[in-house]
Amino acid sequence: MKKKVILILIAFTMLPILQSFCGFYVSTGNSKIFNQASEVILVRDGNKNTVTMNSDFKGDVKDFAIVIPVPTVLKENDIKVVKKDIFNKLNQYSEPRLVEYYDEHPCQPKYRYDDMVMAESVSIKSNAMMVKKEKELGVTIEAKYTVGEYDILILSAKESAGLKTWLLQNEYKIPAKAEEVLEPYIKSKMNFFVVKVNLVEMKKLGREELSPIQISFESEKFMLPIRLGMANANGPQDLIIYAFTKNGRVESTNYRTVKIPTDKNIPTFMRPNFQEFYKDLFTKQYKKYGRNAVFTEYAWDLSSHNYQKCDPCSTTPPSYAELKDAGVFFANYRTPQGWQGSDYEGNLFFTRLHVRYDRENFPMDLQFQETMDQQSFQGRYIMQHSVNVDMQSCSEGRRYYNDVLNRRENELETLANLTNWDIDNYEDYTNEIRAKLGYKTTKSEAKKGGLFFFSKGNKPNKTLPSLLLLTSLALISFLIYKRKTLLPKLAVIKNFLF
Amino acid sequence: MKTKAIELPKTSTLSLLSDARHFQILFLGSFLVMVLFANDFPKEYLFQIGLTITSCLFFQLVFTHFTNKNYASWKSALITSLGLSLLLKVDALEWVLFATFIAIGSKFLIKYKNKHVFNPANIGVVGTILFTHHAWISPGQWGSNIIYLFIVGSLGFLVIKKVARIDIALTFIGTFGGLLFIRNILYLGWPIDLWTHQMTNGTLMLFTFFMITDPMTTPNNQKARIIFAIILASVAFYLTTFNHFYAAPVWVLLFMSPLTIVFDRIWKSEKYRW
Repeated sequence: MKKKVILILIAFTMLPILQSFCGFYVSTGNSKIFNQASEVILVRDGNKNTVTMNSDFKGDVKDFAIVIPVPTVLKENDIKVVKKDIFNKLNQYSEPRLVEYYDEHPCQPKYRYDDMVMAESVSIKSNAMMVKKEKELGVTIEAKYTVGEYDILILSAKESAGLKTWLLQNEYKIPAKAEEVLEPYIKSKMNFFVVKVNLVEMKKLGREELSPIQISFESEKFMLPIRLGMANANGPQDLIIYAFTKNGRVESTNYRTVKIPTDKNIPTFMRPNFQEFYKDLFTKQYKKYGRNAVFTEYAWDLSSHNYQKCDPCSTTPPSYAELKDAGVFFANYRTPQGWQGSDYEGNLFFTRLHVRYDRENFPMDLQFQETMDQQSFQGRYIMQHSVNVDMQSCSEGRRYYNDVLNRRENELETLANLTNWDIDNYEDYTNEIRAKLGYKTTKSEAKKGGLFFFSKGNKPNKTLPSLLLLTSLALISFLIYKRKTLLPKLAVIKNFLF
Repeated sequence: MKTKAIELPKTSTLSLLSDARHFQILFLGSFLVMVLFANDFPKEYLFQIGLTITSCLFFQLVFTHFTNKNYASWKSALITSLGLSLLLKVDALEWVLFATFIAIGSKFLIKYKNKHVFNPANIGVVGTILFTHHAWISPGQWGSNIIYLFIVGSLGFLVIKKVARIDIALTFIGTFGGLLFIRNILYLGWPIDLWTHQMTNGTLMLFTFFMITDPMTTPNNQKARIIFAIILASVAFYLTTFNHFYAAPVWVLLFMSPLTIVFDRIWKSEKYRW
């Protein structure tokens, strides 16, 4: 018995080692999984922060405006506009990916390298706060700049009603509920960074779409003010955070940070549906963790001494120029060294977080900390293609197809577990193999899933739950059996406790 | 306020209940199991827990062997290891060994009047963070959940009732919560659910009901304990609010622990016995 338990434990701990990263990554999908999400790049070292915000604003640009609480009065040099490309780049680099593998022929082993992989990504939509006088309202314009196509004001205010009136007078559309959150920011001595599009500048610059805005400031706070954006949102909003720090993974300190399920084998027919798949997977996780968790979708050590900056790579890892665009102020240029050597030096850690937030479940602004964790993490989903085997000539054929059948059953189960899709619609996937083996192409008999919540994707772990169940059954029967002697003792326990 | 020794027949299974440490083990153990369930038994974490428990017990054994040979103290080591498993995050498993060594070592080496100065789990966590660059605390690791408050609170209540340390826990949580309420809700004007979100944080609960209530590392006298808790809560509040240092209670406790010695001198009371 003991041996068995030990074996189980070992098997448990072996799993992550057996499934190491590798696979082929070929093409990249152009569309984004979450096209209604806002994106933010956070760069932090010590108390220095750079925040870049990208908006997916779709309407008339003259309606565009944002109000962001900032801890200091920003100087003109602290505000920049950057190219939108950087967001696409980071998204592509870190989005959850699909990798494909092909089986070897069981009888004539040969390697095929025409494998394909697809990836899809996630993007953001800004919760663009519609934004845009003074002494008697208690509002002070601390600074006024024109940067890129934007007119920028830094405001400080004495009270929220005044600020609200000022914003309304200046044609910044402020949602009714904004007042409740303006007050705490004003009292916390925050300034307001107010942005509007300067149509003349925009025309002069020949810009078609709005550029991301990048601000730099010093603050002890490592946080993102999400509360203001909630005021005008209908329903939950998606936010993707790309964080660059020196030491390790970034996580939230006031919400749970969880990793997205990864390294799962999914059915091969999923390729065209990968976006749907990941969306539903994310939604399921979001609900599972009580709608108030922060999800890690990617984490990787991008330090110059680490030569493997992604595996498989969906795009090239960010270069020095791209890091500069992203606002990574602590990156220094160097001539690239060695194969795949980076053109910057020093420590750098990249984290991608995904938050779906709404007023109800996120009462507090997001606060972060940098941990010492440098473990790589990526959302990676695997498709394993089978080969055609002639069972007459290949003696291994039968065994091979039995394995494939098993595998496919597991893949379907994983799919159901991850997304709640109804796998009865996909019976052809296993029946195809059953037909080859001459099995009855029945409805997938007795759904194999662990006990209760224990079914765990590819490998349902039934040992532990069964053991627990047996133990508790044994305990209950023991208690019932001994009840005559035990009941009087309960009184003793009661006296003892209270 | 000293708990009365309960007289139970030695042979009875109920005599198990006479030791408050059994409650603590039960409390922390079930919390750990709950966390594991909620996270689908992450393999690496299981391994970390296993290593923490074995190494704690091992170091305890080694230290007792060379000192007082009182082997019954393995229960304290188990409690320490459970506390460490719940609070400490490391990037590589060897740092678990470092943490458990500091935790257990401090119990035997840093002593004043036969009472260890630091809470072992506390110094294990903070020591590893301070001396290595491989460990951290995740104050948000369990999120905020009213169910945690209930479970941890009620189980914790049983433990501290048994060790008669309810005063320190309630004073701490009352002061800390009160200050946060005054600052965030009354002064700044955040909606009330911001406060409940802060107060139902799993780490805060665990800290309140498990860590500061350790009878060995808190002042023996009740008045002293209350003052201790008020100072702890106020400093922790200050650091959390104005310095944005979110794991503050755990750190502040470590640096305040030596104060226990002073407090025990001013307010004399009998030392707690398990």
